[in-house]
Formats: sequence, structure tokens, C-alpha cells
Amino acid sequence: MVQMYNIIILLNLEDLINKYKICNYHVSKQTKTKTLQPPAFSHSPFSSPFTPHFPSSECLSTAMGSSPSRDAASNPASVDPPLASASAEPPHHVGLAVALPPPVDEKKDGVVDVNKRVDYLNLPCPVPFEEIQREALMSLKPDLFEGMRFDFTKGLNQNFALCHSVFMGSTEHPSQSGDIVKVPSSNYEFGANFLDPKLMLVGRLGTDGRLNGRVKCDLTENLILKINASLTNEPHYSQGMFNFDYKGKDFRSQFQIGNNAFYGANYIQSVSPHLSLGTEIFWLGHQRKSGIGFAARFNTDKWVGTAQVANTGIVALSYVQKVSEKVSLASDFMYNHMSGDVTSSFGYDYILRQCRLRGKIDSNGTVAAFLEERLNMGVNFILSAEIDHRKKDYKFGFGMTVGE
Amino acid sequence: MAFKVKGKVKSGKGTRGGSPSKVKCVKVWTTWAMKKAKLIVHWGFIPLVIVVGMNSEPKPPLSQLLSPV
Repeated sequence: MVQMYNIIILLNLEDLINKYKICNYHVSKQTKTKTLQPPAFSHSPFSSPFTPHFPSSECLSTAMGSSPSRDAASNPASVDPPLASASAEPPHHVGLAVALPPPVDEKKDGVVDVNKRVDYLNLPCPVPFEEIQREALMSLKPDLFEGMRFDFTKGLNQNFALCHSVFMGSTEHPSQSGDIVKVPSSNYEFGANFLDPKLMLVGRLGTDGRLNGRVKCDLTENLILKINASLTNEPHYSQGMFNFDYKGKDFRSQFQIGNNAFYGANYIQSVSPHLSLGTEIFWLGHQRKSGIGFAARFNTDKWVGTAQVANTGIVALSYVQKVSEKVSLASDFMYNHMSGDVTSSFGYDYILRQCRLRGKIDSNGTVAAFLEERLNMGVNFILSAEIDHRKKDYKFGFGMTVGE
Repeated sequence: MAFKVKGKVKSGKGTRGGSPSKVKCVKVWTTWAMKKAKLIVHWGFIPLVIVVGMNSEPKPPLSQLLSPV
């Protein structure tokens, strides 16, 4: 289950947040093209907090890792017991998810037990740097879409599955006048997933010739190699990223190499059973940009709070409160000094037995909701709605997901 | 005319020392290799995943690959 959860996160492209975005890096999403999207495949914390949420694109691109970092995914999926089969879910494949912060010892009902002595030599391993904001991202950034979506996953084996996904709907294109131009489009995507405890291969190939590939390989017990690639037929639009993750006893470190001479590294350390601090640097060769950022995460078993700052002028804060086993509330604040953007959002996440409902309201005047209903074993019905009152943009979508 | 002049300057640099042209050679070959690698990955990744998956235990039958059930 945890592995599936990780896979889902990995497949989540939303986190393609971008360091690049900050650096005006251009990337086009597979299914939905957004205007001037920076290449998303960075999972670093810079990405997530700093980037406005995108719809999670089909896998593989970058979305490894959650929250703030690139991976941040808008994760479409969390694993649910019914979805326990090993097939990896495509990034937009949503399942019933259980988003819980990792349990922290010495905490009862959110109150720190000060009488118990803290063993500073035995601190828990922190979450990966890109997943610092994963609870907030999972609750606040579902994979909203407009149109019809149908996903079919066929499992051939415990570890191997093929998936077919069809999307028919409108995608937004940038226009000269700044208005939103919606172009009807449709695409079919074929994918193959192979999941092993030690090796994960996920590939998605669309009708436009774009291939999203993800490889995750456990080289040793503590060293993990991840490769994200998004290849197209058009020249200069392909992206690739190599990540080397090292997991220590109470720290994690990651080194990234990407195309366009992108180099990044991050490090996160547990300093107490509840608090972990991390830092990140990156260097973008072709644009001669570099950045450094710091992040902190405090989690108990009732709530999680995170904060991130970067020298690119981005401040991102988030807070998620688990009100009960089934309900959690999340809030998020992001400030971009360079562009003067301030966004805050507040949302709820109901994880019930047969459905998962997420809703949120934004300071940009956007209200969104996302429902995944489990009709039957392996059959999920999805409804997505997003109303942007400021721009008068209304997006409604429905879909079905069949298969484990 | 301008092109001819440029060409002369370039060849002049090349003959001056072996290393600039070697570096250029390496760059050209790396670019060529990256292009070929990208092509191979683009076409071969999904077949690779399928081959790895079909050979994993328990081996799924080949008909399952194409049948919709």
C-alpha cells in the first residue's frame, strides 16, 4: 500500500512544479497545454510551492515526489485498499486515497508528550524533500479536467499492467488578447506499467507522439535512481531528469541532473520527532540562473504545517488538519515576490468508504470540486468542476476509471 | 563573401591547435549520440516495459496483451 502510494505520487505530474517555471522555462504539458508552462518535471520543493497548481498530467513527467518539490503532485491517486493490485495508476487515474501524515511517535491527540524523553539519536526518517507539502497538495490540487475522460487499466500480472486512456474535451490555449481560448481536442494514450519492489517502469505514449517515461530503480537499500523523461517529436521540447536519492537514518538527500544543464540538490534532516528542516539549491545552465531555498515541516498525527522560502522570491506555507479519520481540512498560501502574485486557498478532503470528495476555494475567485465515486470493485466514476468567477471560465468534466 | 571569410577564420583556428577541434569533435559526437539515444528511448521504452512485464513471474499469456477482457 505504501508502495502504491509512492507510485501514485510518482505518477503525479502536477508536481512538475517548476523550478523552471520560476526561471521562465517553457514546457508543454502532454494533454493540456497551458500557456507558458515551465517545464514541469522538477519535483523539488521549489516547484511545488512556487508553482500554481497544474492539472496533473499523465505520468511520468517529473512528478516524482510530492509537495513542494517537483513531484508535488497533484496526485491524482492515493492508494486505496480496493486498488491494492500492483498496477500503477496513471497520473490522472484517481482512486480513493487515504492521505494521512505519517504517524509520529510520542504524540497523542496532537499534544506533545513532554514527559517522554526525546531520543535524538533515533529520529524518524523525514519525508522526501519534494513531498514536504504532500498532504496539502493531495487535498488541494486534484486533477481537475474539462471534458470526458475514460481510463482502462488491464492487469496482466501482479506487477504488470497495460492501460488505455481516452480524453475528449477542451484544452486551453494562450491567446494574444489574454482571453482564454478553448480548443476542443481529443487524445488516446497507451501505457504500460511494470511495478516491482525494486524496479518500476511506467511508460505512456500518446497519439501526438509524446512519450512520458518514468523509471525508478533501487540500486541499493538506501540509494534510489529515478529517471523522468518526456520525449516529443518536436525538437527542443523534450525533457529528461535524473535523480539520485540517498536515504540516511534520519536524513535524505537528492541530487538531480536535467536537460538544459539543470543541476539541483536537496537535503532534509529530522531535527526532532516532529520537525524536519531541509534545503535545496539548483542551477540552470542555459539561463545562468541559480536558486536556493529552505523548507521546514512540522507534523503530528493530527496536523501538518510546512513552510518554504526561496531566493527566487517565493514563500509557500501550508497547513493541513486532520479533523477526523474521514475528513481533513487544508489551507495553502503562496507568495511570489517577482510577479507579485499572492494566492491562498482553503479546501476540504472527505475520504469516505465509497467516495472521495475534495473541494476548495481560492483567493483568485476559483471554486473547485472533485469527486471520485467507487461504483463497484474497480470501477470509479469521476466528476470534476472548476468555476473561475474572475475570468468567467467554467470547466466541468466527467469520467470513468475501470480497472484495478 | 562573408561566409568565405568566416570559413577561413575557423580553419585557421583549427590548424593552430589540435585541442579546439578535438573538443568540437567530442561535442559533435555527444550530440549525435544523444540524438540517437533519444530516438531509441522514444521508440523502445514502451516495448521494453512490455517485454520486461511479459517475462515477469507469473508469465501472462500472450493473448492477454491484445484482448480487452
